[in-house]
Amino acid sequence: MRRVAVVGVGTTPFKARWRDKSYFELAFDATKAALDHAGMTKDDIECCVYGIYNDFFERQFQPDLYVHDYLGMAPRPAGGSAIRIGVSEVASGMYDVCLVLGVEKCADLYNYDLQASTPEILKAISYTADMTYEQPTGRTAAASFALAVIAHRAKYGNPTDEQMAKVSIKNHKNAILNPIAQSPKALTLEEILSSKLITYPFRFYDNCLYSEGSAALILVSEDVVHKYTNKPVWITGLGASLDWAFLGNRESLYTFTSSRVAAKKAYEQAGITKPLEEFDLAELHDAFTGTEILAYEDCFFCEEGEGGNLVDAGVVEKTGKLPVNVSGGLIGCGHAVGATGIMQANEVVLHLRQEAGKRQIDGARRGLIQSIGGVGCAWTVCIVFERGF
Amino acid sequence: MKKGEFDFDAWITRNAKKIGVEPEKLKKAFLEQFEKEKDINAPLDVPDRWIATYRYSYAGQSRFFREILFNKKLCGSKCPDCGKVFCPPRTNCPHCYSKTEWVHLSGKGTVESYTTIFVGTSAAVRKFPFICAYVKLDGADTVICTNIEMDDIAKAHVGMRVEAVFKEDRDGTMTDFYFKPLEGEDV
Repeated sequence: MRRVAVVGVGTTPFKARWRDKSYFELAFDATKAALDHAGMTKDDIECCVYGIYNDFFERQFQPDLYVHDYLGMAPRPAGGSAIRIGVSEVASGMYDVCLVLGVEKCADLYNYDLQASTPEILKAISYTADMTYEQPTGRTAAASFALAVIAHRAKYGNPTDEQMAKVSIKNHKNAILNPIAQSPKALTLEEILSSKLITYPFRFYDNCLYSEGSAALILVSEDVVHKYTNKPVWITGLGASLDWAFLGNRESLYTFTSSRVAAKKAYEQAGITKPLEEFDLAELHDAFTGTEILAYEDCFFCEEGEGGNLVDAGVVEKTGKLPVNVSGGLIGCGHAVGATGIMQANEVVLHLRQEAGKRQIDGARRGLIQSIGGVGCAWTVCIVFERGF
Repeated sequence: MKKGEFDFDAWITRNAKKIGVEPEKLKKAFLEQFEKEKDINAPLDVPDRWIATYRYSYAGQSRFFREILFNKKLCGSKCPDCGKVFCPPRTNCPHCYSKTEWVHLSGKGTVESYTTIFVGTSAAVRKFPFICAYVKLDGADTVICTNIEMDDIAKAHVGMRVEAVFKEDRDGTMTDFYFKPLEGEDV
């Protein structure tokens, strides 16, 4: 293990209440003091780790996203991914065996006026929007992605309603062969295009589902792997990025920079230059059909603006050149937010071990996951998995 | 009913008060559990409510909300080094790490992207559907999230010119203003 040194420190005064400094301004002051002490500028920093105790205190869920934005640290990686931290623990030599677990419950939330869970879940999710400037306008999580899809349409004319509907058909259909899937369905184009508008341009069947569930995987070092298996699946590339949490600070509203940065880093590590040719399957974060199509571009399966063509050409179908979301994805299998990234990883691992049952992609040797989070894809983790036997 | 035995109606009354909902609505949500699920090993649901109240300080960004509240004006913050104008404002430039300066903005701007929300949260009670948009104000380099009110929502589009409208009753929040289309100035 490499030795690690401290080269700069910064601490603000501790007081009963800071009325003239916000949470983010305090974060800035300590960061600037540490940088000055180290004789560094912000540009010297490669990644960030934030210590956060209580979202209620800060009047902001996922406050790390907004600290990162306020410090101008985009698109460096920070927080966000359990698998990434697990890989760091093992790769650093700190530990040999690491459990990575994601678990989520959401439907205990309940709105008594409407006798339904969904409105209360949406309300809880809304607190992950910036609570001062964005959440009061009623901008839902879905809206943060719809805004990107509309901006993409304004620039490139796609994804079209039909292309998005085809992704919905594909992912619901793929889910039929997945025994853990929440929404296996054989849908028609007409059913999808006539389903009710939720957040323009997303209709009911363009949306992922709220799910409860859990997923776990176990990472071990190459030193001890022989003790546990002769069918190892190696993580050969891992990239992460946390973009500006305020979409308004981004240079482009119609691409997800965090996905581009994370995919590029993961591909560099894994030696991937032609992802469309070199991957046998990919699990992409299809929170909405339109964002799956944007993800084809941001994971470099095609040029910017051409994502819709991959759908029309059948490239991403289970029988296509690069099957995307054979599990059914978030739309067909479900979205148990804190567990979803690990669910995606587990799907790829099962295929590489040839243990995916009826939905097995024959001979799969290399797979990708793209897992995203935060408003409008603030952060992304991309991981390349390869069969090691 | 014997003393000490479970009293469903009393439980409803107590818990309705505790979480602030009408007793009838609570009863509707729990009737099946108490009438049909008699097995001692069955799952048990209980009502609960989380709430936190604040006196939230806008701290270094207070001027932005004071201008809205008292003067019906929008402003941004400008970095003295790189010249970038931020709206929403920030006390420190995220690029140069310099302290920013306040600048007034005209309140006119251009829609960078928009969506229409048909199903929303119970946090913000409003009429549906409503438009949520990113608007770049003239003179600003970043984009704010806001609402647009217009007669025909189907006519909303990227590039649409809009101007801020301030409400009569203002609270010092982002919903004290919204935007409406600026006639005859479309891009």
